[in-house]
Parts: sequence; C-alpha cells; structure tokens
Amino acid sequence: MIGVTTTTDHMAATAETCHDPYLRCAFYGAAETAIGISGCCVLAHSPQGCYLLVESAFGWQAEDYTETEILCTKLCEDEIVYGGETLLARTILEAKSLKVPIVFVLSACGPEIVGDNIVAVCEEMQSKVDFKVIPIECAGFRGSQYDGVDIALDVLLKNLVNDQRQKITNSVCLIAPHANTNPTWMADLAWVKSTLLKMGAKVVTTLTHRTALSEFENVSAAEKSIVLSHDAGQKAADYLSREFGVEQLCRGTSLPIGFTNTRRWLTELGKTLDAGDAADRLITEGEKMVVEQSRRKGIELYELSRLSTAIVADATIGIPLVRFVTEDLEMIPELVYLTSSPKPAGEILENELRELALNPRIVYHTDVYKTRKSLAEVKPDAIFGSNIEKHAAEGLDIQYIFQLINPIQRFRMNDIEYFGYTGILNLLEIIQNEFGDSYRSKRKRYEARW
Amino acid sequence: MDKECIVFHGSLQQLLEKVEKGEMIPKLQASHAPPCKFWTAFMVINGIRHVVPVIHGPTGCTYSVASAYKMGSCEYRGVPLEPTTCTALDETNVIYGGEGELFKAIKEADRKYRPDLIVVLSCCCSGIVGDDVETVAHEAEGVVNARVLAIRSEGFGGDFRSGYEDAFRAIMDLMDPPKKKMEDTINILGARIGPTYTEWIGDLEEIERLVDAIGVKINAVIAGGCTVEQIRRAREVELNASWCYDWGQKIGQLMEERYGIPYSRTGQPYGLRATEEWIMGVAKPLGLEEQAEKVIQEETKQVKDEVNYIRQVFNGKTAIVEITEFPGPIRALSIARMAEEFGAHPVVLNVHPYTIKERMPSIKFLLEQGQNPEVILTKGLFSLGTFCSSSESEEELETIAAEYDNAIYLGNPQRYPDIPVANFTSPTAYPHYGYRGIRNIAKLLKSAMQNASRPRSRFFKHVLYG
Repeated sequence: MIGVTTTTDHMAATAETCHDPYLRCAFYGAAETAIGISGCCVLAHSPQGCYLLVESAFGWQAEDYTETEILCTKLCEDEIVYGGETLLARTILEAKSLKVPIVFVLSACGPEIVGDNIVAVCEEMQSKVDFKVIPIECAGFRGSQYDGVDIALDVLLKNLVNDQRQKITNSVCLIAPHANTNPTWMADLAWVKSTLLKMGAKVVTTLTHRTALSEFENVSAAEKSIVLSHDAGQKAADYLSREFGVEQLCRGTSLPIGFTNTRRWLTELGKTLDAGDAADRLITEGEKMVVEQSRRKGIELYELSRLSTAIVADATIGIPLVRFVTEDLEMIPELVYLTSSPKPAGEILENELRELALNPRIVYHTDVYKTRKSLAEVKPDAIFGSNIEKHAAEGLDIQYIFQLINPIQRFRMNDIEYFGYTGILNLLEIIQNEFGDSYRSKRKRYEARW
Repeated sequence: MDKECIVFHGSLQQLLEKVEKGEMIPKLQASHAPPCKFWTAFMVINGIRHVVPVIHGPTGCTYSVASAYKMGSCEYRGVPLEPTTCTALDETNVIYGGEGELFKAIKEADRKYRPDLIVVLSCCCSGIVGDDVETVAHEAEGVVNARVLAIRSEGFGGDFRSGYEDAFRAIMDLMDPPKKKMEDTINILGARIGPTYTEWIGDLEEIERLVDAIGVKINAVIAGGCTVEQIRRAREVELNASWCYDWGQKIGQLMEERYGIPYSRTGQPYGLRATEEWIMGVAKPLGLEEQAEKVIQEETKQVKDEVNYIRQVFNGKTAIVEITEFPGPIRALSIARMAEEFGAHPVVLNVHPYTIKERMPSIKFLLEQGQNPEVILTKGLFSLGTFCSSSESEEELETIAAEYDNAIYLGNPQRYPDIPVANFTSPTAYPHYGYRGIRNIAKLLKSAMQNASRPRSRFFKHVLYG
C-alpha cells in the first residue's frame, strides 16, 4: 500500500524525546492569529522572552507598528510565586492610553501553570475600560503553533460572532491564510480573493489578516468557507458549519499550487459558486499565460527531469508541491517530510500519492535531525525546503536546494504567491535562480589583470 | 532647554543614586523588554562549538532562539548549523513532571549528535513544575560521552543579565585544574559571538590583532566560537581580559576569586586613551610593557591624521549619544568617553534606569574610572508601547538637540535631530575598537560633517515614525 511507511515513521517520531523542532508553540500560533485583527493590541501575559515570540508573530502578519501594539506583563519570580493577576489587571488599565478597540490577552506557560485566571481578570476589567478585552488561554505546552492558530480562532469565533445574521449571497469566509509557510503568504490570500471576485463571490471575512473588527459581524452571514491551510483552520470551518450552516468548499482538495491542483481547485469552486464559465476562463487563460511566459523567458528547468527530490515543508505547501514537482517538473519525490501532524492533511497526501503512483518515504511532524538523517540516507538530487535544509544540502553535498519555505535567507519587499498561475511563475523563477546559483563557482581560478 | 519633556537631568552618578534608592524604575509593562534569562543564557552557550542545547521546555522557546541566533546568522559567521533541541514538553509533562523525558533526551542527544558538550536549559514550564535539571544533568553525565551542564534559565527567574552570568558561571565547571601555565597567554572573556549574531566580529578581530602585536597568545574567546577543549584549558592562562568589560566582569571576577587568575579590568577600547589602557591592562601583568609601548607608539603614529581630524570635529561641540537600538548603554558610555577625550562635551540621552539597575557593577566601575557624563532622560522613554516610546522620544531628541548651538549626534541613523548625525551602526564602520576603530570613526565623522546640510530622507523618517 502506498504511504504505508507513514504510521511506522510517525510512531518512531513520537517515541523520541530529543527534538530539534521546525515549529514554534501554541502561544506563537495564537499570537499570529490575534495580531491579524487590524488595530488591535496583543498583551502577552508572560515573561519577556515570550514577548519576542509575539514580535515574530507580528512580523509574520506583516503588521504596521504605527497601528498595532504589543505589550507584555513581563512576569518575574514574584508573579510566579504569588500570581500575576494584579499585574495583568494593571496592564490592561494602562492599555487605555493606546486608544485601541480591542486587547487580546494571551497567557503563556508560566501563568497558566501557576493558575492565573486570565478569563476572570479580563471579565473584571471589561467594565473599567472602553475597549474589548478577550482572553486566549494558549500556553506553549498546549501544542504546536498550528494548535495555537486553532485555539485562537475558536476564541475569536466564540467571542466575536454572536448571532446568526442573514446570509449574504455568494459570500465566503476565508480561514487560516497565515498557517502557510510561503514567506509572503499574504499574496496567496490576495490571489484567492481576486479569484473569488472574478467568480462573482464576495469575501466577507478573513480569519485572520488585516481583519477589521467589524468583519466578525459578517462571519455568520457567510454562505461558504474555504480553509487556506492544510495545517490549521479545519476546526474553525467545522464550527462555522455546525453553528451557522456555513458550507466548507474545497474540503479535502489539495491547495492550488501547480497546474493540476489549480485547475481542480478552480473547477470545484466554479461548480459550487455557480461560476463554471468563469472558472474555465481562468484556467484556460492562466495555463496559456504560464506556458507562453515560460517560452518567452526561456525556462531551463528541463534538466531536472527524473531527478530524485525531497520535499520538506508544512502540509499547506508540501502536499500540493508533490503533484507540481512530479507532473510539471518531471521530478520524483522520494522523501515527503511534513512539519505538521497527519491530521487532517494525511488523507489528502495519501490520495495524491495514490493518483500519482508514488511511494516516497513520508514522515509527519518531522524534526531537523530526522530530516537530515533521511537526506543523508536517500541522498536525493534536489530538496524543496527552507534555509534549514540549505545547510543540510551543503553538508551532505546535495546539488540543488530550492528555498521556498520559511525560513529563507531572502528579503522580499513584494509579496509573491505560490497559489494559482502567477504562483507557478513565481515558483519557477525561484527554482531557476537557485538552480543557476548551485553552479556558481565558490573560487576564482585566476585573478584578472586590471 | 525645554523642561517639559525631561524627567531627569544630571550626572550618571546622580542617576545611579536614584536607581539605587529604587526611584525611576518604570512600573509600565513593556516599556523596556529585552529578552528573558533563557534567551540570554542560550546566546552564551551558543558561542561554544559542538554544543547541543537540550532545552527542557516546549518547542516555542526552542525554535525561537534557534531562529534568532542560529539558522540564518551562522552563515554570516561561517559556521555550520548545529542542533537546537528540546524535550517538547506538553500538558502531560507539565502535570507529571518531565525529568524522565529529560534524562532520555540527553542520552538521545549524545547518541544522535556526538557533541562535546550538552547544556540543559530549563524554561518556565520545567522551572515551575520543579524538574531538577541539575541533578538529571549530573546523573546523565555518567552515562553519556559528552560533558553535561545544566543552567536554571526559566524566563521568569531573572533579568536578561542573569542569563548571561549564569551561563558564564556554568561554563566555569568545564575548566580543568591547570597542568601547566601557558606563558603570555590570555583568555578573552564576555563574548557572545559564535553563530550568535549579536555583535560585529570586527571589534574582536582588532583586539586579536593588538594582542598578537604585543606578543600575547589567546587561548579562548569565551564564548565566541571557542571549543570545549579551550575552555578546559582556560585556567592555564596567565591573565583574563575582557572583550566587553560589562559582559566579562562576572566570569573574570569569579575566575580571579576561585582560581587566582588576574583579570584585566578595562573598559571598551574606544579612542586612544581607552585603547592604551586596554593594551597596557594586558601587557603590564605579563611584563610586556616595553613591547606594548612600542606598539602603542607605532599605531598612534599611524592614526595621527585621523586623531587630529577627530579632535577638530569634536572640539567645543556637544556630543549627544542616545541609546536606542544602538549602541546600547555600555557602548554609549564608551563612545561618550571617547568624545570627551577628543574635546567634546558628551550628553548621554535616555540610558534606561532599568539598564542602570541591571548593569550596576559595570556602571560603578565606569564611574570609578572617572566616567561621569551628563545624562538626560525624557518622558518618551517611559511611554507604554514600543512605537509610542520611539516616536515620542524621537520628537524629544529633536527638541533637545535644537537647544544646543554646536552639537553632533553619535549613534543610530534612525534618529533625525537637526544636527550632524554620525552613523555608528554601519557594518562598514567596524571595528570601532582600537586603532582601526579610530580610522573608521574619523571616516564616520567626516561623512557626518560633510553631509550635515543635506536633507535627511523623508521616506525613511515616514517609515519609522508615521
């Protein structure tokens, strides 16, 4: 059976106790999600090291520091011994000076273990301030950053979406766009929004990225939802379906990276949004554009044909990449190492592998050691991964490393998408540049005379 | 001067006295948030080669420090990416404790990575539930090949400074009793550079050059890319010197007390006088004054033109040194001292009382050395929120700078006073230390003075302050 190694390798992974992780903790994921609300303030009820995680989350949402503030209660030994609730209450009062509409209070490991009741503190302080105060209990030990995204989405939906509004025709709620390791994932979100618009659908809420507080009023009015991640957000979609009858689209479908995935994704949307013609047009024009552009620019990636490759990524990018590299680049994935857990993405991956008749080594919830050891054993010709795998590739003498996944060592001023047709061009551009870089000589054979 | 925005105006000594009395420490949260103890302890041990940190905590702490201080930065340092591991504590471990997991993780780390050293770092979780990391580390050391140390580094357990100090203290446990004395050999203490990308390496290279010039060898730069073997031999040196007095002072003092190794107490070598003090601080205890004097004479001769230029620029000016993102308090005080040496009147702006408190021994040392500059603290320093604080203190800086007739600003180009701004942050300006530093600083000042009347970028300022 294809993918039979999955269970074994997953068990092996959990049996180990020394991890070199690819993911941050739940606290970080919750911070990423809360910071996606425009103009909010995120208050970390934590020691000051955790504040730095919130700063990273701030960067991941590409927030503007003139609009969004992050604070920290800076817990020390006294607050761990005697409790930090008083300090939290005082900090919430001080936040009045920031003139924000909402403050999210995020609790880290320390205060949760000693039993600080942030829910009670927030309830008590609510009457004393003129902004909303929402507690999110998201200690790091509760899970990975993707668990944190789900925890925060749950709190946001339960606190900010109160009643069933009248449905808005062809309206869509987008979920978890930020649980995606494209370093400029916001371009993927923008592509989805513009595509939906071309199909006559209206995005009423995004959970979360530059989400206005007022958008939450429309969540229950959405007819449909789309989860933009294979790593997080499914629980939120299930909640919306259960509570407000919001129908989830493209569930179980690989996200739109590469020709086939994009075609399937658009076709499915076209059917459910009654926009089949628009979808067909997008597909025809998009595919033509990619082919023509590749011809005009002189793509040179034919040399990758039938080379073995490893994919080391989150499920959101990693799973669709399997088909893209197999079908469109003619490469053979021999390792598929995903940083997240097998649910719910495992089923999608196994379907893809079955269809593509591939039998790579698969590991879910991989760590840096496990990846490196496997790369050393398999020695693929190429890796699709991050800067972490770049180090491994150099150490293991693997020729090609295509850095698509966060962290990468490249500054991007413009957001570039991986989804859709321009996304294919963006991927090809990165791959071709790194392909060329791999042949650059690290030494000069002789010096020039001038 | 506009008194509205000023909350303190006096000398460094007077500020220290206020801080000692418990005054001026802000109660606002997040008005000053350096990393926690765990992050800073990690920074130090990250400067040792072939070390595997086993962080006894969840993945968030682990990935964050690896990302901040290792993944990308090791490329700049030309070192390999080595592991950053953890026990990935979850709810079950928090309830039942994770000592058993930690023991297994240490053994696993030893088997997987074959390191020279494993350092267990505790986090908030393991600290609160009471996991005894020191005992586990001690027991594990008996069954693995690597040395194993433990540092109680839970984030709430101390300020950022205590993380550095506890890590340096732990490193001392690796030092073997001396078998011999390594003649004319020293350790450089207090560095936090290896893969850790907290300082530009140029300053260290200048120190190494000067030490070599007077005929002294370096056993180890602790912990700036040193090996465990070098640390083991660290007690065989004749003298310890500091890369930065502030960071080196704890381990230097402890090695002096415990092992009788003299410690050269000097400030950062900015300018001629401090550089001479630094060199002689190493040369005198080793009996190499004559050689050192020759080096000083020769090097001074070579930077004569630059020194004259610096004197010409600084003469009669007020040198405003502000501590924002750069240069940090100790470097700012060193720059202020250099400005004074060359004829300026230094004014140090917004050295945070928090940092005075955390760096008390170093501040006192600098005062004993005769450094007691004028200090101004403004309201913006105590504003809630990072952006609020930076935009308010920018306006205040502009107001204060306008009060002086003949001033120059030394430090961060992200500030926009209407006076010449010398950009001390540029990587091309390093080293700042020593004689090469004098050349670089002269170049910085020249650029600042020659371009003083050019308008600053409205684009940059708009990005920074809205």
